[in-house]
Amino acid sequence: MTSTAASSGLPDWILDCERISKWYGPISALTDVTLRVGREVVGLVGRSGAGKSTLMKLAVGLLRPSQGSIRVAGHPAGSRGARACSGLCPDTERLYDALSGVDFVAWMLRYHGLGHRECRERSAATLTELGLGEHMHRPIREYSKGMRQRVRLAQALAHRPRFALLDEPMTGLDPLARRELGERIRRLPEQGVGVLVSSHVLQELQGLVDRVVMLHQGRVLAEGTVAEIREQMPAAPHRVRIGAADPRRLAAELVHWPSVQGVRFGDSSVLELSVTGEPDFYIALTELGTRWPGGLREITPLDDDLASVFGYLLG
Amino acid sequence: MTTKPQGLGSLATIVESARQTWNLSRRDRLWWFVAAILVLVPALAFVLAGRAEDGLGGRGLFCLMAWWLHGTVIVPWLTLYLGVQAVHGRIEDRTFQYLFLRPVRKVALLAGNWIAVASMAGGTGVLGMGLLFGAVALRGDLWPDGIEWGLAGAFAVVAGAAAAAYAAVAVLFGAFFRRPLVWAAFFVVGVQMLAANLPVSAGLRRLTITDPLRRLLLDGIEPDRRLAQMLWPAERDFRPELIEHPLRDLLLLGGLCLVAAGMAYARTEYDSRERE
Repeated sequence: MTSTAASSGLPDWILDCERISKWYGPISALTDVTLRVGREVVGLVGRSGAGKSTLMKLAVGLLRPSQGSIRVAGHPAGSRGARACSGLCPDTERLYDALSGVDFVAWMLRYHGLGHRECRERSAATLTELGLGEHMHRPIREYSKGMRQRVRLAQALAHRPRFALLDEPMTGLDPLARRELGERIRRLPEQGVGVLVSSHVLQELQGLVDRVVMLHQGRVLAEGTVAEIREQMPAAPHRVRIGAADPRRLAAELVHWPSVQGVRFGDSSVLELSVTGEPDFYIALTELGTRWPGGLREITPLDDDLASVFGYLLG
Repeated sequence: MTTKPQGLGSLATIVESARQTWNLSRRDRLWWFVAAILVLVPALAFVLAGRAEDGLGGRGLFCLMAWWLHGTVIVPWLTLYLGVQAVHGRIEDRTFQYLFLRPVRKVALLAGNWIAVASMAGGTGVLGMGLLFGAVALRGDLWPDGIEWGLAGAFAVVAGAAAAAYAAVAVLFGAFFRRPLVWAAFFVVGVQMLAANLPVSAGLRRLTITDPLRRLLLDGIEPDRRLAQMLWPAERDFRPELIEHPLRDLLLLGGLCLVAAGMAYARTEYDSRERE
């Protein structure tokens, strides 16, 4: 994915974390984590305390690694060059409440070297794009939780970073706003931006990210697309729901298949199967569907989503 | 799509940081309290002027009230509060994250905080002393030799120097300590009061702000023996040669504090600092 960047003279990876560890005295927050992000959306998944926020703060230089190295767009993390091309939407709730949204974002832009007028214009444009145009001149203290979240996002994106780190960006947003933000995040790689996004609501990341990195107790548990990670777990049987006429007869047939580990009846016309050897199973099932009276109405994998995969990995 | 600007220069960052610290601090409700005090002190002076004991006069009344109320209470505490809020307040509520992500020098951000705090507190001190002087000057009978306008100038210099020095201490404590206001109280009430009772020759006095400020003041107003003792009770035998170099001492202490604050601010991982 990212190797194409080499031809443009830019580093292959926008974020390049090489075997980083972070200790607080005897407590290890991250252990030997290697992570690379190119022009793509990478999801950072893990339970509370897994090290997601620590990893993000290391990537933007708010923390320094105890071991290992981090580079952002070729610059050492925390250097001015790295900070100039990074944007972080942090997990903190606090903002400068006395300021208006447009003033706050303009202030942050000013530190990126933009002129006062350009700061105001770009701040207003970014807030408008994020749906806060009507309210951007009101003090932040009057904002709802969702509006405050948009301000946090605006300050992370307004200076057009090459690398955006979004820590729980959907928090406090209504469903429509979540969808809009998701679409905006999805478009960022087209503009050359690498995105690292974390969420503890796994369904939010499904469909948003190109691949995921699963963290557990400060270590990388798995990395790749959801399908790739799922394929690496042959021991965990896949669950598939099949809808058909006469489900009892269908169950009687399927139970003899070597790939079918178990059969459970759902409602009147639905079966839930536990399956191993997934590709062969689906080939055989397709063939069965062509000759089954009335055909098979439904074939739905039940545990190929991010939440299920994460659940399997953590046992 | 790339980020073309590599960040604001240090001087512009200092200006911007000072401007925003001003902008945020001026909205603090504390200013209502400060405004009330700035009005009450001259009112009190006007009332006391009618009862001033013989010989104290307008000069003595103004100097006593300006030094003991503004010089040792209002200016120091206002400066320390504003300085701690500007630096430590942002660390404690974690809004520093927004600032530290920007491609500017942290030291420049801190210098901007210091300038804003020193100018706000210094301006308030000058205003307060000016109002007080005005109130005492209204009693023409207390100035038999005419109103001494030079006193107001001497105290304005003291207010400015006090604000600059206390602001340096405040940003150091804000950058370095987890409980900076407690340390500020220890510095003002503990170290400075202890030093005030030491012999004039004690080196520890140079590690305070009150002592060089008092010497600066005495140098500016040229007090008689009685007034000098009221302003400097620990020294029973005031002599002009004891004044030495108060501005140099203040510059040295303030400079050391700012350098130490800058080093702490630039190097500390505040994100790992626990909330209090």
